[in-house]
Amino acid sequence: MLPRFPYRIQIPLVLALAVTLSVLLVSAVTAQIAARNARLEIVSTVQRVVDLLVAQGKPLLAQDDTWRAYTLLRNTAALLPQTSKGQSRAALLDVQGRFLAGSDPSRLPTGDQALGVLINGRLLPTVSDASRPRILTTPDGGMTLIEPIRSADNQIIGFVFAEVDAAAFAPDWATLSTPALIGAALAILVLVPLGWWLGRRMARPIAQTADCIAQIGHTDAEQLQLLLPQVKDPELMHIAGAVRQLLKETSARQANAQRALSAERLAAVGRITAAVAHEINNPLAGLIMATRTLRLHGDQPEARNRSLDLIERGLQQVRTITMALLPQARVEDRCMTPGDFDDMLTLARASAAQQMVTITSATHEQADLYVPSTVFRQVMLNLLLNAIRAAGQSGQVHARLSIETHKVSFVLANTGQHFSNERLQKRLMTNDGNDPHGFGLWICHEFAVRFGGGFSAEQAADIPPPFTTCLNFWLPNLARHDPQKPAPD
Amino acid sequence: MQRRTFVEFGAALGLLQATARAQATQKVEPAPLRIGLTAVILADQAAFLMRWSDYLGARMGTPVVFVARESYQAILDLLLSDQLDAAWICGYPYVLYQSRLQLLSTPLFNGKPFYQSYLIGQPTPPVALSSWGDLKHQVLAYSDPLSNSGWLVAQAQMRAVGLMPKDLRRSFFAHGHRNVAEAVASGLAQAGCMDGYVWETMQLKKMPAAAQTKVLWRSAWYAFPPLVSKLNDKNPALSALGIAMHNMTADAQGVSLLEALNLTGFAKPDAAIFEPIKALAASVGALRT
Repeated sequence: MLPRFPYRIQIPLVLALAVTLSVLLVSAVTAQIAARNARLEIVSTVQRVVDLLVAQGKPLLAQDDTWRAYTLLRNTAALLPQTSKGQSRAALLDVQGRFLAGSDPSRLPTGDQALGVLINGRLLPTVSDASRPRILTTPDGGMTLIEPIRSADNQIIGFVFAEVDAAAFAPDWATLSTPALIGAALAILVLVPLGWWLGRRMARPIAQTADCIAQIGHTDAEQLQLLLPQVKDPELMHIAGAVRQLLKETSARQANAQRALSAERLAAVGRITAAVAHEINNPLAGLIMATRTLRLHGDQPEARNRSLDLIERGLQQVRTITMALLPQARVEDRCMTPGDFDDMLTLARASAAQQMVTITSATHEQADLYVPSTVFRQVMLNLLLNAIRAAGQSGQVHARLSIETHKVSFVLANTGQHFSNERLQKRLMTNDGNDPHGFGLWICHEFAVRFGGGFSAEQAADIPPPFTTCLNFWLPNLARHDPQKPAPD
Repeated sequence: MQRRTFVEFGAALGLLQATARAQATQKVEPAPLRIGLTAVILADQAAFLMRWSDYLGARMGTPVVFVARESYQAILDLLLSDQLDAAWICGYPYVLYQSRLQLLSTPLFNGKPFYQSYLIGQPTPPVALSSWGDLKHQVLAYSDPLSNSGWLVAQAQMRAVGLMPKDLRRSFFAHGHRNVAEAVASGLAQAGCMDGYVWETMQLKKMPAAAQTKVLWRSAWYAFPPLVSKLNDKNPALSALGIAMHNMTADAQGVSLLEALNLTGFAKPDAAIFEPIKALAASVGALRT
């Protein structure tokens, strides 16, 4: 509970608690000592009163003067403890041990036998046993003194009787503790504000240090070092030193991070360059193959025209890609046609042939096509090349273009390595710029997001074996093509 | 120089005149009249006694000094040894020393020169007391061995009921009527015999000792304690004292003093009224002849 409070509250509370405990302990010890001393003092006082009564009572006993004995006892008993409360009393006894007079006649009746009988619950010694001073104590702490009074010729002429009840010896705790409590209250009155001030003074450098620590990462480390308190306390100096060291290290780490960020930016530029080269390299490969076809079969008009169309569309794709590198560039694009699907298959078959990969395809046309050709062509080519690479030697790849009313899907399945949807999403979320294949997948994903479509790995349920999973890229099939308004990011 | 001589002469003359005046004053100052007081009145009231002595001195032309003693015997001793001019004593010592004393004045209590002796006890005693016979095995307090009301009457009554001193558990003298009341009130004694006038005055003044006691028995009427002087003392101040006392009812200051004394006046003495006390003393064998 207490540690939850700030120092400016903890310290006065602890001081007050310490003072209170000290006062209680000191009071208890003092009270014990006082009680012991009080008993000794009471015994001493009673003895002095008895001595006085022995001296003053002698002539009164000689004259058998009850009244003067009474006045003497009445006045002298006032010296005994707690007489006013009836806790002590004194009497003069005649030679037969009877009360000549008592300070409290109702309890010490004149003429009654005192010695050898029970008086106030105490059995007093007989006359013969009281020939010497006697001090009787009771189990509860009470005390009775009996002292003989002797004449000049040493004959006993009477006795002094003094009795103190146990209650008179009981320490007066209220009186004993009152000064201590007043002292404690005064000490607390002084210590609480003093402790509050000390606590605040103690906590101030700690709070400043804590503030500095809290601002690490948000404020410049060099400035934070200036905010650290200059302290002389060894522990605080140790903490401040550690924080100062931490700030220095943080400062160094921030500089390193800045340098690493610059390097990363440079590396990113390199990766983008490599990716662009990769993207352009694909159509270029198609163009080279088209020029070869043109060279070999250029004399056939159909083949020539087809190769020239292929070359034109490939160049257009390269142009579109380079234009896409300019964020503010407005890309003029056309709607995709089923021929684009054939083009991509044609381009991919050259790579597939090198690895003995068989490519099968299917087209489901249920509506007109209204998707951007460049984007879709790039995605189809990317995915085809990736699938060929993943299918491996003598593998199989199946591509399907589905044109529905609301969306256009390109589904690609391959044997060999394939993605689960979880693995695909993980790959897409991982910014692994060093992987050109990963970058290609990421580009497909970005296209899907940008144009309001989707990109996922699915079970190849409607594709005949041996395919188990497939990649599905789709874009919404717009009622009309509007290249100006891609879907919001 | 002449002026200085004149001043010195004047100063010396003034000093001589002052000395002469002082000697003249000392010569005309009469010797004070010393009056002894006993426990017959509540004599421990210094302010009252000063007022009374001033009052009497002013009317007598002679200073009055009151001398109080605890016991009657002490006052009698002083009076008979000429250390006092007058004394206010009890009727019993008067009849004892009647041959050597002369009456000066008799106080009037409720208009009469008589008073009673009281036997007092506690209002709620452990043992009920109602008569002298009940005092057997009890503690009895007397006032003074020379007191009529505080001893002599009690002796006669005890004798009348056949109670001997040894039948009491204890008896003691309290050296004053007021002390008798205090002894009974405190429980030191179960009963006490004392001057009825003193007890009534204590009641009037609401003294605790009187409030804590009650009257168990009242005696017959006896002559009130008189003021006496030594027989054949021709001191003219004594007759002036008698006149001053008799005239206290004539002025407001005197009446005020009488009210403080719980008396109604002072009358000319009549020795015959002391005969019952004499008879009482004779009956118990306490009369010296």
